[in-house]
Amino acid sequence: MGLSVDIVKSGGKGQSESFNREKLHTSIVAVCLSVYTPEAQAEATAHAVCDAVITWLQQHPEVTNHDIRTIAAKHLKNYHPEAAYLYEQRYIII
Amino acid sequence: MTKKYEFDYDLIVIGSGAGGSAAANIVANKGKKVAIIEADTFGGDSPNWSDIPTKALLHAANLYDEACHGARFGLRSATLGYNYPSLRTWKDLAVKRTGAGNNRNYYESQGINTFSGAAHFLSPNEITVNRRHLSASNFLIATGSQWVIPDITGLDKVKYLTPRTILEELRPPKSLMIIGGGDTGVEIAQLMATFGTKVYIAEKAERLLPHHDSEAGEMIARILTEQKGVAVLTHSRVVSVEKDGLGKRVIISRADTEKSVKVDEVLIAAGRMPTVDFGLENAGVKYTAKGIEVNNFLQTNVRHIFAAGDVLGRDNHTHSAILESRVVANNILNRTKIAPDYTATPEIIFTNPGIATVGLSEDDCLKRDLPINKAIAPLNIIARSNTSDFRDGFVKIITDKKGVILGATIVAPHAGEMIHELALAIRYGLTAAQVADTPHAFLSWSEAIRVATGKLS
Repeated sequence: MGLSVDIVKSGGKGQSESFNREKLHTSIVAVCLSVYTPEAQAEATAHAVCDAVITWLQQHPEVTNHDIRTIAAKHLKNYHPEAAYLYEQRYIII
Repeated sequence: MTKKYEFDYDLIVIGSGAGGSAAANIVANKGKKVAIIEADTFGGDSPNWSDIPTKALLHAANLYDEACHGARFGLRSATLGYNYPSLRTWKDLAVKRTGAGNNRNYYESQGINTFSGAAHFLSPNEITVNRRHLSASNFLIATGSQWVIPDITGLDKVKYLTPRTILEELRPPKSLMIIGGGDTGVEIAQLMATFGTKVYIAEKAERLLPHHDSEAGEMIARILTEQKGVAVLTHSRVVSVEKDGLGKRVIISRADTEKSVKVDEVLIAAGRMPTVDFGLENAGVKYTAKGIEVNNFLQTNVRHIFAAGDVLGRDNHTHSAILESRVVANNILNRTKIAPDYTATPEIIFTNPGIATVGLSEDDCLKRDLPINKAIAPLNIIARSNTSDFRDGFVKIITDKKGVILGATIVAPHAGEMIHELALAIRYGLTAAQVADTPHAFLSWSEAIRVATGKLS
């Protein structure tokens, strides 16, 4: 069964969109590559982080995009602290 | 003309336990619009899963234990037994009768809107629960705490119990390793040992109940060992847990040597941590893993968001949570804000004998470099000890150099009732002499308080 999670966009207008794993995966891969991580490792890291975020989302049917960034950064820190630092610092639209 | 925006509620309470329910009721009774959100069972942990069910079972266990040892009074108890499913039924009845357990209808009858689900902050004034957005001018966070699962190798691969889940077991396990020798660990050790379980209790500190005076921990360890056959493993760190047949093998490191124990079940009672995973970042509320930061008036750094109860990470007492909840209700309703007064808040461990403490412990006084006097009255010097044939226990009183009572520890039957006399004394700055001069009824356990305070007069 697919995961149904609404992501409330920042800006206070109540706009929301469905959670998109691909979007998160792409952003994690991008941040890993930007700190010169081998492509295969970046893919594996993004896969693991996405799994961890989805596990967290199973108890949270509606969250903000800021929550996604926070949780993804928290898990990314376990796999790639340097990428996690960059991920926390720069604004990435998920 | 500028459009006036209105919030859905005057107060949204997140968590319906002791920290949330009092404030919800008080504020709703003043005609304010209140909603309460519960992610688990309405009523919270205390009536549903911890205080009430544990104490109901402990009461039955103590009766059984007393009866089993009644031969010395001329009672015949050879055929005495228990039926565990019936004990569980009794426990469920006790939970039901409190009225606080699963009490969603009660809130509705008080005009409080109830929502079942996990709340999540979207912004400082808005939360989502089950994809429904609710806004309020004030929030009270009373999400409580949960058992910490320690980082032990292999624990994630075996089924383990917590103080909550053990109460739902169909029968007591034949053998049980309790990880954590604090208040709850000790209560469950005695409960299960009374029903025939071989209990091992592993505690990292040098004694059980490391947050209480040493005499209490040492005495309860002796009682558990000598009377209940509990294996008390202090200075012990659980290194790993692995499946072994139908049971579990627990590896313990003690004084640099590893020891292995095979048990049927493992119970984790190694402390609790505040529940803070509900989007506090979106509201801008400052918190750490130890709890939400609040000022004296229980306001977070976001002034319209209050917090009370276990989520503050201060202590885990239901009576403290109720006090804080009332303070928050006052601070929401009135301009003059008040702060909770924790002076003389008693702590009780419902073992047999019971353990009750209030005020400062000896360690607290040492840390603060306070000059103190102390006296201990062993229980066996009072007449009640003779008529009840019960000798294990004491009353310990700590005073300052002027004789003002600073703290007390009682290990005795009905210690939970006895301690309130000393709580009153501490709250109102009475001296040991004043307490000793107060008549104490002959053949009451409280005579030990008179004796202990008398030594300091």
